[in-house]
Amino acid sequence: MGIWGDLLLTSVFIAVVSLALFWMAAFTLWWQMHAWRTPEVLASTRFSRPDGGEHLSFSLLLPARHEQAVLDHTIQRLLESGHADFEIIVIVGHDDPETTEVAERAAARDPRVRVVVDTHEKKNKPKAMNTALPHCRGDVVGVFDAEDQVHPELLAHVDHAFRSTGADVVQGGVQLINFHSSWYSLRNCLEYFFWFRSRLHLHAQKGFIPLGGNTVFVRTDVLREADGWDPNCLAEDCDLGVRLSSVGKKVVVAYDSDMVTKEETPGSLMSLLKQRTRWNQGFLQVYRKKDWKQLPTFGQRLLARYTLTTPFLQAFTGLIIPLNVAIALFLDVPVSIAFITFLPAVTALVTFVFEVVGLHDFGKQYGLRVRFVHYLKLIVGGPFYQVLLAGAAIRAVWREQRGRNDWELTSHVGAHLNQADVIREDVPA
Amino acid sequence: MTSTLPAVTTPQVPAQRQPAPEAGSTGRTAPPKRLRTSRPDLVLCVVLLMAILVVQGWNIAAYPTLSDDEGTYLAQAWAVQEGRGLAHYTYWYDHPPFGWMQIALLTWIPSLISPDSMTVGSMRAVMLVVGGISAVLVYMLGRRLSLPRWAAGLGMVLFGLSPLSVVLQREIFLDNLAVMWTLLAFTLAASPSRHLWHHFGAGIAAATAVLTKETMLFVLPAILVTMWRHSHRDTRKFAVTGAITACVLIGLSYPLFALLKGELFPGSGHVSLWDGIKYQMTRPGSGFILDQGSGSYGVLQSWLYYDRVLPLGGLAGALLLLATWRWSVTARALAGPCAAVAILALVAMRPSGYLPAMYIIQALPFLALVLAGGTASVAHAVLRKGRLHPAGRYTLAAVLALGAGAYVVPRWYDGARTAVTADANAPYRAASKWLSTEVERPEKTRVLVDDALWLDLVHAGYRPGNGVIWFYKADLDPAVTKTMPRGWRDIDYVVASPTVRRDAADLPNVKAAMEHSTPVAVFGKGEDRIEIRQIQTAGGTR
Repeated sequence: MGIWGDLLLTSVFIAVVSLALFWMAAFTLWWQMHAWRTPEVLASTRFSRPDGGEHLSFSLLLPARHEQAVLDHTIQRLLESGHADFEIIVIVGHDDPETTEVAERAAARDPRVRVVVDTHEKKNKPKAMNTALPHCRGDVVGVFDAEDQVHPELLAHVDHAFRSTGADVVQGGVQLINFHSSWYSLRNCLEYFFWFRSRLHLHAQKGFIPLGGNTVFVRTDVLREADGWDPNCLAEDCDLGVRLSSVGKKVVVAYDSDMVTKEETPGSLMSLLKQRTRWNQGFLQVYRKKDWKQLPTFGQRLLARYTLTTPFLQAFTGLIIPLNVAIALFLDVPVSIAFITFLPAVTALVTFVFEVVGLHDFGKQYGLRVRFVHYLKLIVGGPFYQVLLAGAAIRAVWREQRGRNDWELTSHVGAHLNQADVIREDVPA
Repeated sequence: MTSTLPAVTTPQVPAQRQPAPEAGSTGRTAPPKRLRTSRPDLVLCVVLLMAILVVQGWNIAAYPTLSDDEGTYLAQAWAVQEGRGLAHYTYWYDHPPFGWMQIALLTWIPSLISPDSMTVGSMRAVMLVVGGISAVLVYMLGRRLSLPRWAAGLGMVLFGLSPLSVVLQREIFLDNLAVMWTLLAFTLAASPSRHLWHHFGAGIAAATAVLTKETMLFVLPAILVTMWRHSHRDTRKFAVTGAITACVLIGLSYPLFALLKGELFPGSGHVSLWDGIKYQMTRPGSGFILDQGSGSYGVLQSWLYYDRVLPLGGLAGALLLLATWRWSVTARALAGPCAAVAILALVAMRPSGYLPAMYIIQALPFLALVLAGGTASVAHAVLRKGRLHPAGRYTLAAVLALGAGAYVVPRWYDGARTAVTADANAPYRAASKWLSTEVERPEKTRVLVDDALWLDLVHAGYRPGNGVIWFYKADLDPAVTKTMPRGWRDIDYVVASPTVRRDAADLPNVKAAMEHSTPVAVFGKGEDRIEIRQIQTAGGTR
């Protein structure tokens, strides 16, 4: 072997790792840009205009926990909906009198509002929603969060989407909007933008979709047949989507910038880290539940495998790419090998550029003014956000290994807590 | 079963928002979505391709005269194939190496089957592949730019059969490869599906074109114009930025390559990309193109000698389209090729610039498309817009067509006949044969030649590099001059081809070798003759 053998071995190893990373990054980029492939694809990601006929009835679930401050406003806004036939079921905890009081008052004002009390000792969102499921009278169950700003015409559009496509599930868009709050909220908003605007449509088309946590609508009989949500899963929404699409239920995704449910990013870096840890752990749990193995085609199973492990691959990629470039520049490898090591970095750069353009489009779509400094933050913040994602991925694996699969947010929920920390951890992306 | 909402074309969702057609594109006849499945297009394209391949391919080795540049590129491709590096002498960043890497790839299998066929004459055959692909791309691009079938076919014929094209496209020039990539970039930029990754691919193809021949940089804005016009308002920013990013990133691979080899910046004891670019940018100018007596004027005349129709007609077509911009749909559809012709014409007009003879190669497809588009515009005006009686219109159109045919056909027929019958390379073949058979110990013999013969002599047993010496290197490459401590006395033969005689004036060693040698064999007559001259040292031959 000797020195030449070592060099050859290093070269082959680097080339293999680089090519693997390249293909991973290239596929992710390909999927991320799905909606903008052609003008026709972009047009098809929108809701089609309702025809005026409203034939479905809705039961809208609104789980609320220590959210007395925003709950009433959300209910009022939901009641302004133009749709003729819906009920709102507010789910409150038996240990949360403040929120219960707000909910009861709203119910007294309007007959369309009802209150269901969740008496589980350890509380989480899937348990709350399962508690309410038997009380649902509508044809379709919809889920919202207590702080969501819902567009009054959304239900009419969803109604039409169900009828015109024969869907079992309709997922509407959710968009974080406060990109100007901090460097990480900028990236967080953009993640949502690419996910709901683009990537999710590809999943719907391919027949494997992890659903979002709200603005999701499921036919009540389909939901009951599936036994509702998994109370032990940290990403119950993703899990529901995986289970439904694995048994061949038709999922339709629609995104309209006027019609999305607007939300805000977690209030602090720590809560973002915790939220992301929980999703990652949830994805890991869904992966290990193996429901996705029932998917009929190999390609779908591969997509499932890849999507559910993405957070971990992403963490790995973020750490390897700089290392790879360093090897190419400082180790004495042949020029051809050095070229190969640059491939993943090139893909990352292309992704970066598309993110900048995405930010511009985001600003245009929502009529928000994106300044130069935001683009700068986006670029400079990129590597740090990678570190955050990698941290969350490692943390998730560690917690899962140690069997800690409680809802991190329930452990520290208290009346003193800034509600921003509580409510914003329930939206998967 | 899951899916997104049905696409616009699905009748289930009639209220789906239709993608708005682009402004300015109204009134154009939409080209077929898939040319592959359109039988008339396929038939026409295949018939024309066959004609082009026959005219370009017949007698390809014997006409036109082998050029030193062809020999250089092929010798460099040979060096790549043999694993000797990027060139047969030290690679010094004169051009990006990607062009002859492609030639190496194209000639790889033929040279495996028959190693001796790796000579300029025989390997010209691979240029047929390049020329054929380019011709088909011209047709596709014409159709994608909404030309009617006959006009796209006319463009293909102009591009492939103009005597000027036939001469230049037969030769192993990097420009021909670059044209192929540029046409691919245009074709992808004008993709009817307006697919993001087609536009991205256009960026990659454009960068490849520039890395094949750097002068393609001038055409990049024209590709951008085409892409802008053919992208949709809603997806344009992603498509165009994606294409530019792809182009820049692929383009950066060249400086990256130099960086990895430690040859980006000048330094002692090594070549550098910086020096290479500096050389190309400071090449002495060849004067104003319209100034009689300037070098550029001579180059222009050499083009017009072969064909006036394509260069002058193309320019006229471009002017016509620019003048009718406001009214003519065809003019706007051909904005990209028009821009390419305009830019290349302006660059050629620089009084201080250097105008190489191959310069026009990169303009040929655009001249052809613009001329075809101009013809389509005139035809449209005559047949549809005039106030004449229909019979009068058709008569006028027929008269115009016959007139054009009467002017063009005899001239092109002569050009094509020369191309398929003339033998311009007999002297080269004879010289090659003489040096292979009459010299006793080729492995010990040192010969100065131009590159057109270099590979022939390598196959004949001369040592590549220092045995058979590309004559420039005897003065310009330190690695070669080092082996010639006694100057011309260390050389045995000079093969004085027209190129060697022309450039010897500026090369002291070559000049001395010419002066101290006598012809032992002469092939051909007059200016084009090739002499094999043996060096006469004071004490007789060594």
